[in-house]
This record gives sequence, structure tokens and C-alpha cells, in this order.
Amino acid sequence: MAKPPFTNDIRTLRFLAGEMTQGELGDRVGVTRQTIAAIEQGKYSPSLEVAFRIAHTFGKPLEAVFQWDESAD
Amino acid sequence: MALREKIHWVTLVTMAAAFGWYFLVYPWQIADSPAGVWATAGLLVPMTIAIIVVMTVATAFLAIRNRAEVDIEEDERDRSFHMRGTHYAYYPLVVGIWINIFLIFWGVSQAQQLNLMLATLAVAELVRIGAQLYLYRRGT
Repeated sequence: MAKPPFTNDIRTLRFLAGEMTQGELGDRVGVTRQTIAAIEQGKYSPSLEVAFRIAHTFGKPLEAVFQWDESAD
Repeated sequence: MALREKIHWVTLVTMAAAFGWYFLVYPWQIADSPAGVWATAGLLVPMTIAIIVVMTVATAFLAIRNRAEVDIEEDERDRSFHMRGTHYAYYPLVVGIWINIFLIFWGVSQAQQLNLMLATLAVAELVRIGAQLYLYRRGT
């Protein structure tokens, strides 16, 4: 399976948000812990809604959480 | 491994074992006679009961051992994998139906048609569940 053409900083942002767990982030976003883990590992591309919810949880703009991988073009 | 994924594994193994048993013990020597249809009925009844019992017991056992996950609803990833699994299962289903249509015109017995339909259903189900498990493991 191909990886999504973008990377993310969710793990770092969780750490900076008081070492928030994947389960806590999942609860706040409305997805399971496994889905957060899959997004972090680049194994799952979230919907735009979930991407915005994650960014909103950290109080960051979308581009601060997800970055387009230029080498993917 | 998540509870949902464990239940998919149980379903895959149960379906493979049940349909494998059916096609192994089916009396193929009478498949071209009307008795072949009744043989299918005679095997399908215990097979269906066995699937229901095994799935109920296994799901209850897994739920007790993973109580924290019991109330977790499907999220968008689960729904996406479910839809993709169903999409992949559509192909063997269509191929099986078309083969069956040709075999009806070919004059194949009712029991053979029935068995082909069951095989089509079994393959489609295994593809659906297998695809979901693959997506849970490999992702995207």
C-alpha cells in the first residue's frame, strides 16, 4: 500500500500538549486510538473533517499538523 | 490488536472452516441428481447453526476480555475499510453469478448451480473480510 503524499507532526504535538495519549486525542476528535496511531504512522489518510478536528484540538492551523510531501509530486 | 479486528479474524477463520467442511464432505457423486439439492440443505442447516454458535461464543469471549473497547463505535477508518472490503468482494460475486448464468443455459444440475452459488458467496465473504484485515494491517 502506498503511503499518503503528506507527513504529519501529530506525535510531536501530542508530546507538547502535555504528553496527550493517542486515546485521549482520539476521544476528542471522535475516532479510535487505532485510527490516531494509523494516521501518525502514515498508514491512513484521514478525512478533511478529522484532519481539521485534530488541528483544532492542538489549536494549530492545518498546515502546522499536516505537511505536503514535495517529493510525492 | 483492536476488538473489531479480532472479531474479523474469528469471522474469517469460522467462514473458511465452515465452507471448507461443506465442500469437503458434500457427496459429489449425487450432485447431478435431485438428491444433491437435499444434501445441500442437510449440510447447510448444521453449518449455519455452527457458524452462529461459534461466532456468538467467540464474540462474547472477546468482548469480556476487551471490555474497554465494547462500547467504541465504528469510526471513519472502520467504515472506509468496510466499504472497500465490500467493493473488492463485488468482483468474485459478479464473476460467480455470470458463470452460474452460463451453466444454467449449459444444462447443469440444480445442485451444481446451488454449490456454485455457495462457493461464490464463500469466496466473496472471504475476500471482503480478508481485504478488511489486510487494510487494518497494512493501512491506507
